[in-house]
Amino acid sequence: MNFFQAQDNARRKTWQLAMMFVAAVVALVVLTNLLVLFVVGWAGQQTGYTFDQAVSNIPADAWLWTSLGVVGVVGAASAYKYLSISAGGRAIAEALGGQLIHQHTTDLQQKRLLNIVEEMAIASGIPVPPVYLIPEASINAFAAGFTVDDAVIGINQGTLDLLNRDELQGVVAHEFSHILNGDTRINLRLIAILHGILFLGMIGYGLMRTSGMSRRNGMPIVLLGVGLLIVGYGGTFFGNLIKAAVSRQREFLADASAVQFTRNPAGIADALKKIGGYSAGSFLKNEAAEQASHMFFGAAAQKFAGNLMATHPPLPKRIQAIQPNWDGSFPTIDRTQAFAPSTAPTTASGAESAFTAGFSGPAEPSSDTLSSLVIDQVGAPNQASLDSARRLIHDSPEALQEAAHDPFAARALVYGMLISTEEPIAQQQLQFIQQHAEAGIAALVAQLRPTQQRTPGAQMLTLLNMSIPALKELSTPQYRVFSNNTARLITADGHVDVFEWVLHRVLTKELYAHFEGPQNVHGRVKHVRKVARDAAKLVAILASHSHTSLDTQLQAYNAGMEALGLDIPFARQDTFDYQRMNKTLGALRKLQPLAKPALIKACVTTVLADATLNEAEGALLQGIAATLDCPLPAHLYTLGTATSQPSS
Amino acid sequence: MELIILLVVLAVLGFWVASIYNKLVALKNRYENGFAQIEVQLKRRYDLIPNLVETAKGYLSHERETLEAVIAARNQAMAGLQAAAADPGNAAAIKELGSAEGILGSAMGRLNVVMEAYPDLKANTNMMQLSEELTSTENKVSFARQGYNDQVTEYNTYRQSFPPVIFAGMFGHPLDAELLEFADSEAIQEAPKVSF
Repeated sequence: MNFFQAQDNARRKTWQLAMMFVAAVVALVVLTNLLVLFVVGWAGQQTGYTFDQAVSNIPADAWLWTSLGVVGVVGAASAYKYLSISAGGRAIAEALGGQLIHQHTTDLQQKRLLNIVEEMAIASGIPVPPVYLIPEASINAFAAGFTVDDAVIGINQGTLDLLNRDELQGVVAHEFSHILNGDTRINLRLIAILHGILFLGMIGYGLMRTSGMSRRNGMPIVLLGVGLLIVGYGGTFFGNLIKAAVSRQREFLADASAVQFTRNPAGIADALKKIGGYSAGSFLKNEAAEQASHMFFGAAAQKFAGNLMATHPPLPKRIQAIQPNWDGSFPTIDRTQAFAPSTAPTTASGAESAFTAGFSGPAEPSSDTLSSLVIDQVGAPNQASLDSARRLIHDSPEALQEAAHDPFAARALVYGMLISTEEPIAQQQLQFIQQHAEAGIAALVAQLRPTQQRTPGAQMLTLLNMSIPALKELSTPQYRVFSNNTARLITADGHVDVFEWVLHRVLTKELYAHFEGPQNVHGRVKHVRKVARDAAKLVAILASHSHTSLDTQLQAYNAGMEALGLDIPFARQDTFDYQRMNKTLGALRKLQPLAKPALIKACVTTVLADATLNEAEGALLQGIAATLDCPLPAHLYTLGTATSQPSS
Repeated sequence: MELIILLVVLAVLGFWVASIYNKLVALKNRYENGFAQIEVQLKRRYDLIPNLVETAKGYLSHERETLEAVIAARNQAMAGLQAAAADPGNAAAIKELGSAEGILGSAMGRLNVVMEAYPDLKANTNMMQLSEELTSTENKVSFARQGYNDQVTEYNTYRQSFPPVIFAGMFGHPLDAELLEFADSEAIQEAPKVSF
């Protein structure tokens, strides 16, 4: 299953969930009506009527009101929960008592964690998610968010204390799989839906408690309360069954993906073994964790562990799925034994793991064409992309890396990327920064400038992605100043070039979601044929900008259109018109996940028509892919050089 | 059915109140998180100052009082930071930190004036590095402080607005959070320009 199928499945699952929710509400309406019937009948019997007489005295519209009441209460509760989580991943992390780990942390363990997350994010081509530290001693972690733009990762303190780097990497890879597969979105919706049903039970409980105090016709109301309690908790029970079934499947998938991403089955398997051998296990003390239990790495709530309601498969099963010849013994871990000596990282050998054998595909090109290689790697980082991510990070100048990790300096870094190469314009821009940015920024821009001028574009984009979590630490007014300033710097020379456009796309996409709330784009367009004009425009723009002569442009365009199966004449685009580009991409963004690979493939085919990938082309592709919500792996940048030896 | 209408209305009201409660908690968490940023930068500043004084000592043997005043003010401010970091919601601690920072700022200002008279010290590379680093830390402090104050203002504005103002006291948010103002901000703005 590739990225696009996983996204599509996630979308379908959301529909299934909505259907199950409707079914559950209908069942609850019926049950509540039966309950009212029974209570009224029973109360009638107490006052001398027969059951039938009492029931026939109920006014006809009472059924309607009861039903509306149930629907209203469940709907209001779900809507409330949905609104409160619609702020995205960070709202969940904060509700669980998480504390943001600052990018310039001096704590070594935290620094290591941030490094692992950063490598994994660059490798999978998504912006680096903010990381929250959960003050719990157990070994656990979670990922939350509607899209990759507002995703956050939460890690328990115990995880940091007790796992070594390989194990931590396994856990982080597991969480990235949840983000990339769209599981986090399903999980958030699941929380909202179950909350509505659970709330009915809470009302029942409240009624039972309060009506005990009032004498007047107290008994029927107590009965009604007990009944609602049963109905509500019954609904929750079935809801939890659904949640558990959905969640357990996803956990196996995420474990498998973690092995695929890191090529190191021992890492995640050892992490799971440590949970098994640790007295606090993976359980959280915070009660808020229970409703989010299905988002965690290991079982978060002790309550239902091990039966039908369990949100996670039992540990031994998960470990055996990764290491079939595991002897079944857990290491004994105690709190004092922080930084336990690690088992040496075993590299995957075919005999060792069923998973590695099953997933050996993406490591080697599954098809001889480069473009389908790219499609395979969207949302599925592997050892090669991890290595190249590490290289990209490592090769970028230390001063710039440091700047990317600091909210203060990150802005100077971004401003610096926008400084023109033409000296008169550059001087104007620097003066603008001096006047409109906070004290000290202008000096820092000037200081970083010589280093930035030597840094290639691909690394600049990596640095941009690395600086996203630091920029997310700005306050809202600071963000507005920053975003105004970037816009002014971009337009300072009177036109918008490709790099500036890409930078602006990435920035607005990531930061807007964080500061103004995540945006949901509903992909409804089933096939690229329905947006043929826009697709042709996009391919034409790409062909015009990645090739010089008209002949090669036409050739590239035709190759791209052939990949799409469309036949529209080539309209050459002489200048880069960012407004046209935004409009075109806005239309194409509405494509369903399964319709996107064809488009991405066509884009890559067009750009690679001359079998080389230069910086500007890579940047343009990345900007397009980011706008279309398809994370392109960092590995892409090395593809251009890999063309001569495709089976690396 | 009156009962049922009542139930639905109560449920909606309940959610509305709960959302006010949650928003207050979230905003409080956010500004407390914001304080952590100031803390990092201020700590860095407090670590730099003794080094600076140590370097200056060799040249400023006749200015012991000025140097001692800087060190005393620095220790005072560090104690203030520890108290404030333990509970950023404590208005008194934040105020204390603010005035301690003000005193430190003016002590640093005096030191800078004194150093003007010592061209050898001016030429010391170690000194140049330290004051450069101090300058950039000052800028970061004031930026982090601005961010923190924005978040505090957002919390205070929400807390004072209607209807949250009715519930804020009940939900454990009886007081406004304190903005972090440095008492002698004039001197602070001077301090970054350690001019030679």
